[in-house]
Amino acid sequence: MVFVRTRRLTKVYSLAKVRVAALEDVDLEFDAGTFAAVTGPSGSGKSTLLNLLGGLDRPTEGDVEIGGKALAGLDGDGLALFRRFEVGMVFQSFNLIATRTAAENVEFPLLFAGVGRAERRTRAFRLLDQVGLSGRTGHLPGELSGGEQQRVAIARALANTPRLLLADEPTGNLDSRTSREIVELLSGLVRERGLTVLMVTHEEALAREFAREIVSLRDGRVAGREVLR
Amino acid sequence: MKVRDGVGLALVNLRKRKLRTVLTTMGVTVGIGALVAMISFGQGMEKNVTASFSALELFNVLTVFPSGPSAFGRDPDEPGPRPEATAGPAKVLDDEAVAAIAGLDGVEAVYPEVNFPALVGLDDREDLQLVQVIPAKVAATKMFQVKWGRPFGSDDEPAVVVGESVLRRLKAGDPAAAVGRTLRISSVTLDLSAFNPADLAAFLSGRKLPVAKEKHEFPIVGVVAQRPFAGPVGLQSDVFLPPGPARSIKRLPFRNVWDLLRMQDGRLGYASLTVRLVSPRDLERVKAAVRDLGFTTFALSDQFAEIRRGFLYLDMVLAAVGMIAIFVASLGIMNTMLMSILERTREIGVMKAVGALDADVRRVFFVESSVIGLAGGLAGYALGWVVSRLINGVVNALLARQGVPAIDYFAFPVWLPLGAVAFSVLVSLLSGVYPATRAARVDPVAALRHD
Repeated sequence: MVFVRTRRLTKVYSLAKVRVAALEDVDLEFDAGTFAAVTGPSGSGKSTLLNLLGGLDRPTEGDVEIGGKALAGLDGDGLALFRRFEVGMVFQSFNLIATRTAAENVEFPLLFAGVGRAERRTRAFRLLDQVGLSGRTGHLPGELSGGEQQRVAIARALANTPRLLLADEPTGNLDSRTSREIVELLSGLVRERGLTVLMVTHEEALAREFAREIVSLRDGRVAGREVLR
Repeated sequence: MKVRDGVGLALVNLRKRKLRTVLTTMGVTVGIGALVAMISFGQGMEKNVTASFSALELFNVLTVFPSGPSAFGRDPDEPGPRPEATAGPAKVLDDEAVAAIAGLDGVEAVYPEVNFPALVGLDDREDLQLVQVIPAKVAATKMFQVKWGRPFGSDDEPAVVVGESVLRRLKAGDPAAAVGRTLRISSVTLDLSAFNPADLAAFLSGRKLPVAKEKHEFPIVGVVAQRPFAGPVGLQSDVFLPPGPARSIKRLPFRNVWDLLRMQDGRLGYASLTVRLVSPRDLERVKAAVRDLGFTTFALSDQFAEIRRGFLYLDMVLAAVGMIAIFVASLGIMNTMLMSILERTREIGVMKAVGALDADVRRVFFVESSVIGLAGGLAGYALGWVVSRLINGVVNALLARQGVPAIDYFAFPVWLPLGAVAFSVLVSLLSGVYPATRAARVDPVAALRHD
């Protein structure tokens, strides 16, 4: 069953009067419960694709459909609610709030969802336990290693139980051993929770080892698609 | 997002930047403090003046002046209210007029303004004072506040009541101890027996005036306390005699040449009459009746509307000064909030990425600025109160040396703390509008970009 679909997805940036097409006519489909890797050189439009899928940005042309819902039909608040409940995002630089503990960072999305304080605590502790950080709940991001920080970020992305997880270079700031652990964790989420995970990555080898399919982008267009298993 | 969580989020954010929050709040505190001090001063002035006017029963007093060219009633070079001149034949304020006015309905007492300059002495000290003649009936009213001793018992009692300031000028010391001592009053009178027509030239050039000094002694029976504000109309001096003994003092029948110019057919009359009414309600009616008799009137209540308007202007000027401080404080809030947005761009990006509505983002910043406003408003009210207490203390201490009794120069009506805090929060919210809008407009893609 197709869960994520893009139709003629195009994003054009106007930089100093020069039109730069970051994405052009991208048609893609991903089934529910897949673990797909998106690869390609810098500037190929990988991050742009992820931002459009995550509802952080709007396309110049074309549309994104997640679980049968077209994002083009949503207004600003509708898009915010989509980000709140339907999708979780993980970034290369973790984007944790430095002054909040691991548990508070995980609670952050629940705050906007109007979840009560006790319930937030419980859920944050359970999520941190699931990513293997049960002993680090009270630590600030600065007191955690890179891999641990990314685990906190993943727990945060899962807080409102979305069905789609988008990871933009999640291993870009990590050493190879930690990178492997993180990709393993994502792969496990797909296996155990039926989550759909799309991961932008530079690391071919890791992608080949864990992902079910690999989409490669070049100059804003789909250059190839490979189903591995 | 729940309101409580929004407030919690804002409080955490403010606590993270303690110093900056405290400094910004101090700006608001000073602004609100200045405003509170200014307004309470304006309120205090108004309250004191109104209160002392009513305490002295000045709203049921009418002053009557002769009409015609003499309408000035008093010396043109003497300060004080100037009633407008009336048309028609000039009328003299004589005893007949006094009787006519006293017979009007609603009039409690009428007494002429009779005063004469005299040399007043106690022991070996002397001072020039205006001696005023006051009927015993009037001396017994609230208008005439005898603090030590008592007012005169009757119009014929040989006694004198003095003001506290006279005693100070005569270095009499404790006013309470002055009661019972003897006051010397020396007046100047014409001595025609000393007038030699052969000396006319010397008289006209002022080298040999046919005058003599006359000395009288009266026991001091009462001392009037000094008032913080100007004395009531009709009581212009600080030495008071009842009419009986006053008649026994020979003196010149006029005080100055203005009095002589006022003269009609050789009749001088009184410079003015003070009419006390039973109730302020009778004022307009009695005023009209007195005007019908051909005299000019002056009532303080006529001035009072103007005085109130004056206070409104005073309040506005004071508030304007306070507003400048508030304006500066609101710039401080705006600056702090904008700076905080720059620092927290990534955090705002995260808020948006995890599903915060624009309204949620705005709310966080609004709560932050209104918390600053609330804290600043409360602290500002406290500061304004403390500062005005201090100023009040200092002013009273300084004035006490001049014998002015201590009063409260500042007033804090109930609406002031509520208004100050509400206003502070309002100003802070307004200062937060632009920063909050900017925060809500942050582009999450740009804010979260890896660099």
